[in-house]
Amino acid sequence: MSIPSYPSGTVRALLDTSHVSEATRAAVQARLGAPTAYTPQFLAPESYALLEAVAARIFPQPDRPEQPVPLAPAVDQRLAEGRADGWRYDALPPDREAYRLGLGGIQEIAQALFQADFTVLTTDQQDAVIQALAAGNPPGATWQTLDADRFFEELLAELTETYYAHPLAQEEIGYVGMADLPAWTKIGLNEKEDREPNLSS
Amino acid sequence: MPDEEVLEEGVLNPVKPEIQDPLLRALLADEPAPAPAAADTPKEQPQAVEPEAAEVDCVVVGLGAGGAPLLARLARAGLKVVALEAGPWHNPEKDFATDEKAQDFLFWNDERLAAGHDPLAMGKNNSGTGVGGSTLHYTAYTPRPLPDDLHIRRDFGQGEDWPVSYEELEPYYEEVEQFIGISGPTPYPWGPARRKGYPLAPLPLNSAAQLMVRGAEKLGIRTSPAANAALSARYYQEGLGWREACTNRGFCQAGCSNGAKSSMDVTFIPLAVQHGADIRPNSFVTEIERDARGYVTGVVYTQNGKQKRQRCRHLFLCGGSVETPRLLLLNELALTSGQVGRNLMAHPGLQVWGTFAEEVRPHKGIPGGLISQDTHRPKDADFIGGYLLQSIGVMPVTFAGQVARGRKYWGQQLRDYMRNYNHIAGINILGDCLPHADNYLELADEKDARGLPKPRLHFTAQENEQRMNAHAEKTMRGIWEAAGATDIWAFQRYAHVIGTARMGRSGDDAVVDANGRAFDVPNLYISDNSTFPSALSVNPALTIMALSLRTADKFLEGQQRRDG
Repeated sequence: MSIPSYPSGTVRALLDTSHVSEATRAAVQARLGAPTAYTPQFLAPESYALLEAVAARIFPQPDRPEQPVPLAPAVDQRLAEGRADGWRYDALPPDREAYRLGLGGIQEIAQALFQADFTVLTTDQQDAVIQALAAGNPPGATWQTLDADRFFEELLAELTETYYAHPLAQEEIGYVGMADLPAWTKIGLNEKEDREPNLSS
Repeated sequence: MPDEEVLEEGVLNPVKPEIQDPLLRALLADEPAPAPAAADTPKEQPQAVEPEAAEVDCVVVGLGAGGAPLLARLARAGLKVVALEAGPWHNPEKDFATDEKAQDFLFWNDERLAAGHDPLAMGKNNSGTGVGGSTLHYTAYTPRPLPDDLHIRRDFGQGEDWPVSYEELEPYYEEVEQFIGISGPTPYPWGPARRKGYPLAPLPLNSAAQLMVRGAEKLGIRTSPAANAALSARYYQEGLGWREACTNRGFCQAGCSNGAKSSMDVTFIPLAVQHGADIRPNSFVTEIERDARGYVTGVVYTQNGKQKRQRCRHLFLCGGSVETPRLLLLNELALTSGQVGRNLMAHPGLQVWGTFAEEVRPHKGIPGGLISQDTHRPKDADFIGGYLLQSIGVMPVTFAGQVARGRKYWGQQLRDYMRNYNHIAGINILGDCLPHADNYLELADEKDARGLPKPRLHFTAQENEQRMNAHAEKTMRGIWEAAGATDIWAFQRYAHVIGTARMGRSGDDAVVDANGRAFDVPNLYISDNSTFPSALSVNPALTIMALSLRTADKFLEGQQRRDG
């Protein structure tokens, strides 16, 4: 099956309608209107730049060269505020420690594979570093004590949930669940309300 | 507001309908309508807390499915009751967004440590906070257990039997179903015949449910619209007023904004308030005080940064199977059986996902629209117990997170796969789980933001769970292939933490008796999923509520005997 794609502009248009509740509109618009410039609150500038570079490969956005969906700010903000999501793998140290160690470990993989910092590698090389991490047994002293599988899973899950919480990422997959007023009445197979998007092609 | 149209369209709660709705009663009797009672808007009431609170009859800790029903029952009996809930009291209509991230406040976000070979995801998977507890974000899937769920040891020689029979619980199941307004099929295709059917017709089937019907039919597996604690029609709720029907938002797991889902905050809690219960949100209990005899005399709690004390004659712990044992362990209370924190069980909740040519749009409709209990005791089983099958809808962020964790897709592959979201549908199981010595909760040395030891939950799926999962994966893949799915994959997960303060017949091997009363402490009761001796092959919420009412009744009977 070909990969479905949906028209852009759907979510912004729906936000102006009565299909969206006030609470929902506030949540969605806060994310749409988040300032593009961000000064890290928790991570050191070089660690933050590394996190941004890693996020840019885990979620490549060649379709949004000017304004990619921001991912690193959510991680940095969460770590700065000490927020948790209710649980953590016992195998991993506390989140701040895990990110600090894990980002250092990614540099170690980059050095071991390409003798250079992650941020100066080509995108193919960066992908190779991430692949080594994802495969679960990467080179580097960090990974002797930090569980690579679990760290990658946590990093990937946090970036993924941040990405798909963004209204433009939701629009990309044809989701307009935020426009649920007054109700969904067409909920069966091949049924859709007029306000739900058609495939682009 | 009720009017003539309502008389036709709404469904009256069958529990004493003639006296419930003052407006409707006035209409029928052609009397002038009374002013709305204060109890109709409990959230607006400021909660005054006196600094030196007098002793009350009962303190209830936790206002989820375990605490709310008994709170209402005790208040209705005329007792002076105070409920302490760690989380806030929300106004869903105003505060709840149709946005997963924005709803994170519904979960217990203090960190818990997940250990073992199959670490249990907590947070949004297994926890809740707020007036209503985890019912604020439960999927509302409310099948009854089948009678043999309660005596798995008698039937198989492993696991534990309940000290309460299905027959004893049955009237309570019926009462809960009628009171909170469960939508479901009548007659119900599995289990013994019932005295009363569900009060409301089933909710409409969404795409995933339709696909499961299609696949299961080809394999000869019976299916049925499921029982869900969400309204398929308007319903009158005593203490609250009319609740509107479900609008198919599909956001049950992120909070219902129109009161259609039967969470505690729109069912038992308004009833409790109507009968005078004193509800104190944002109240986190830290200490349980006792006298020289070992009886509980009161609790110490923190509310909005202030430490307070509430004295009581009886204490009901209803904080769920993590916070209840944590409180007992922290306070070194009711520990002589050695079972507090032990017997931790979690339901195998394996999911199977597939991509369909048809448009599914999986976020719409009640998520668990369909059920099959044909796999309750499969003939070809190489394991003990069984499971139910359920079609599942899914919200985008939840689904994406599972793709990340389950498939480990990243980069372009992840973005490409996620573009199929509108064509993806899932089914999952809810399976029984056996207790095992390796699975338990303990207090870690690491402290949380409150300065208390973090709970550490050890969970490793044992041979029985693994065999059940293998059987279930084969079954579900078969259904999805028959329904026409491609790119089928399985996601291993475990849902609901159960059993960490189990009930039993003797204080030698159980924490509480069949009535929820602690063997060690005569005026301490536990009412939540921590008391389950076995996991059951169905979702726990309905049974927690039924047991809660039963515990209240048994307590009240005991009080009457003492008075008389």
